[in-house]
Amino acid sequence: MGHFFLSILIILFGGFLSLVLARQVKLMRFTAVFFLSIGCFLGLMDAVLKLIQPGIAGASFRYLNVFSLAFKMDELSGFFLVIIFAICLIAAIYSFHYMENSRNSLRTAVNYFFFSILIASMALVVTAANMITFMLSWEIMSLSSFFLVIYKHHSAESRKAGYLYFIFSHVGAMFIFAAFGIVYGYTGSFGFEDMGSLPETAKILVFIFSFIGFGSKAGVFPFHVWLPHAHPAAPSHISAVMSGVMIKTGIYGIIKMYILLNLHTALFGNIVLFAGVISGILGIVYALGQQDLKRLLAYSSVENIGIILIGLGVGMIGVSSKNPLMAVLGFTGGFLHILNHSIFKSLLFMGAGMVLHKTGTRSIDALGGLLKNMKITGLSVIIGSLAICGLPPFNGFVGEFFIYIGGFKGVALDKSAFVMSCFAIISLAVIGGLALACFTKVIGIAFQGEPRTDAAVNIDEKGPSMLFAMSILACACVIIGIFPKLILWMPVKAVSALGLGIGRVPPEPFGQMAGNITLAATIFLVSVLLVTAIRWFFYRNKTITRSGTWGCGFTQPTVKMQYTGSSYASFILDFFRPAAPLDEDHPKITGRFPLNTYYTSHVNDIAELHMKRVIVNPILFLFDKLRWIQHGDIHLYIGYILLAIILLLFFI
Amino acid sequence: MILHPVDTILSLVLLSVLFAFGASRLPVLIKVIAFQGIVVSMVPFFIGHDMNAGGMVFTFATLIIRGIIIPMSIYVAIKKVDIKREVEPIIGFHASILCGLGLIVAATYISKQLNIPSISDYKLLFPVAIALLVTGMFLLIARRNAIAMVLGYIMMENGIYLVGTTISIRARHIVEFGILLDILAGVMIMAIILQNIKRTFDDVDTANLRTLKE
Repeated sequence: MGHFFLSILIILFGGFLSLVLARQVKLMRFTAVFFLSIGCFLGLMDAVLKLIQPGIAGASFRYLNVFSLAFKMDELSGFFLVIIFAICLIAAIYSFHYMENSRNSLRTAVNYFFFSILIASMALVVTAANMITFMLSWEIMSLSSFFLVIYKHHSAESRKAGYLYFIFSHVGAMFIFAAFGIVYGYTGSFGFEDMGSLPETAKILVFIFSFIGFGSKAGVFPFHVWLPHAHPAAPSHISAVMSGVMIKTGIYGIIKMYILLNLHTALFGNIVLFAGVISGILGIVYALGQQDLKRLLAYSSVENIGIILIGLGVGMIGVSSKNPLMAVLGFTGGFLHILNHSIFKSLLFMGAGMVLHKTGTRSIDALGGLLKNMKITGLSVIIGSLAICGLPPFNGFVGEFFIYIGGFKGVALDKSAFVMSCFAIISLAVIGGLALACFTKVIGIAFQGEPRTDAAVNIDEKGPSMLFAMSILACACVIIGIFPKLILWMPVKAVSALGLGIGRVPPEPFGQMAGNITLAATIFLVSVLLVTAIRWFFYRNKTITRSGTWGCGFTQPTVKMQYTGSSYASFILDFFRPAAPLDEDHPKITGRFPLNTYYTSHVNDIAELHMKRVIVNPILFLFDKLRWIQHGDIHLYIGYILLAIILLLFFI
Repeated sequence: MILHPVDTILSLVLLSVLFAFGASRLPVLIKVIAFQGIVVSMVPFFIGHDMNAGGMVFTFATLIIRGIIIPMSIYVAIKKVDIKREVEPIIGFHASILCGLGLIVAATYISKQLNIPSISDYKLLFPVAIALLVTGMFLLIARRNAIAMVLGYIMMENGIYLVGTTISIRARHIVEFGILLDILAGVMIMAIILQNIKRTFDDVDTANLRTLKE
């Protein structure tokens, strides 16, 4: 564990140093990025080595005299550490140029400080070996990310987002506390190991509580409400880390609880699968309806969490119905998608960050034609979008492919396992199609066509560190998509070390499938190259004229003739109207020469609507009735204190 | 019935409590608090346990801070900031004194009920401590002048000190000194806040703070 703690210390030191050097902006950014990268790199190497040479390392400290802080590194935590350190490393590099526009150097320093704490606490969460350590790291993670969300604290929107995130993360933590409390009530110890000895009903209750708690961090529908608010509010490298990595700690929590409880009932699998299906479909439907680029990506995270949960659910059903291959395929697919999603989602957030950095707007309908001036960004975002849609030969396909195969193995089973497997396969297909619609919208509206507003005209892409970070991730998407073997051993190792009680995991089918994927991808690439070559060959000596996109042969085309994001998405959203009610506002057009008109629409999130109606409004009503208590007279306030003391005296 | 010397001293404190209820002007109130601080800090000398050289030094330091430094600094503050000299009562002086008498009776009754064995030698000690606490609270509630409220706060602290000297025997000085430093910091902070209130509202009447309500 020595190397692990060393890397954590380096990361924290970098964050601390950024506070010290807050006055020298450039030096501060450089040192912070330098130390964060070094620390992450060291941690990454350590985690990879841990995965190559399994062997459980642990460390325990007794600083708090009653509780011990214990850490343990096994394959599962090694797998998550790889993701955490790799993505944070790239996000730190990206931030070097992304933060250069910041006028307020102190705020940048504080941002780096909390960023370092966030990285360290995430690493500690996945290595914590008892409940106290886990909750401590968990809370530090929630709080540090809260401070990162309210980076632009002068804007009311950011403050609201931070507030929402704060409430959700703490209500979620409360559920986790409740789950741990039940465990403590039965076992009387804070260790994770004794959880297996609980009675079955208690286990189910613990799992459901912790699923709600961890689900609210992971962004599982309907606990995802904070996510589309908080992720856009943070700076883009933080959004990348939060969306790509931090929400995965929720998934880690769910997996960890499933393994610790060691109860292989079909119920858990069904709950997880069902939650995954709902989050997957609704997440991508809401994503489709967004006009804000970063909000869209945040909703798409909800969708991908859904896919991951479908994978885990398939795996759990496989375990409960004693079908080792299905179990391993489901879990491996889920784990792969965790890794892949962290890559392409952070890539997409970085791309959105570049767009925001250069154009100053996040609204898709204000952009257009970005691809012409932002070659690298545009290409990376296209690669990321193809990957997130689960299309070959990109990495998103690999994970989903394994989940599909796992699902098809389940079709051979009987009764509920059969129904759930079909459910999983169908919903995965629906999600894939909708994701394609969603990301063609992003690419088609924002990156292609003509600039819709002045914000998108005459932009450039500068910032070597940002371009470097995006290129690395884009390359990773392609390479993993073509040669899945390169990383496949990591999730396979993590899954085989889970101890699911299904015996040894057969490694043969994975190698074979990976080989097939590589073969298919190669054929695909070769044929693409061939088609390009043929096209080049036939167009060699012909004149090619270029004109504006969406010109439609008019002599005086205008940019307003282009599709807008809302119009593109509307035909799909119409179908999902019951789940995604649409608020539209536009005056009726009358007369032969109508005046200037407008159209605004907003897709409502039913989770948000109902949460507001059922929980928020009654609470507000109640507290509105109690407002008279706060009257502003200091003497009566002191009187309250006196009254409280006297009342307490009666109880003692 | 033979009175313990501690009880004799504490009767002086009780007297000062009644004076504090009746005091209408700040300088008088400050003098009362200074007197009370000195007398209260002298109590450990007469209780006498654990009185080695270190204890003596601590007690003397307490006496100086409590009896001289804090009252002096408040006195200087009102001179400098030019604060009105009236304490501006919400509850009138006669009614206050009546309340004070009632409080002392109630404090005696409560301390009988609590019946702590380690201080059964000193009959007045616990009633006085409780009376000081409640009186401090009373001044906080019933006086609008911010300085008078600070003084009420200090009086509460005197009460806590009395309870502390009697109940906690081990590591007493450390605890007391910790409290004392707290109170010193509290007084400093209040002096700063007072200046701000004075500058903002041109007065230190805390009823003005109502306008700060959201």
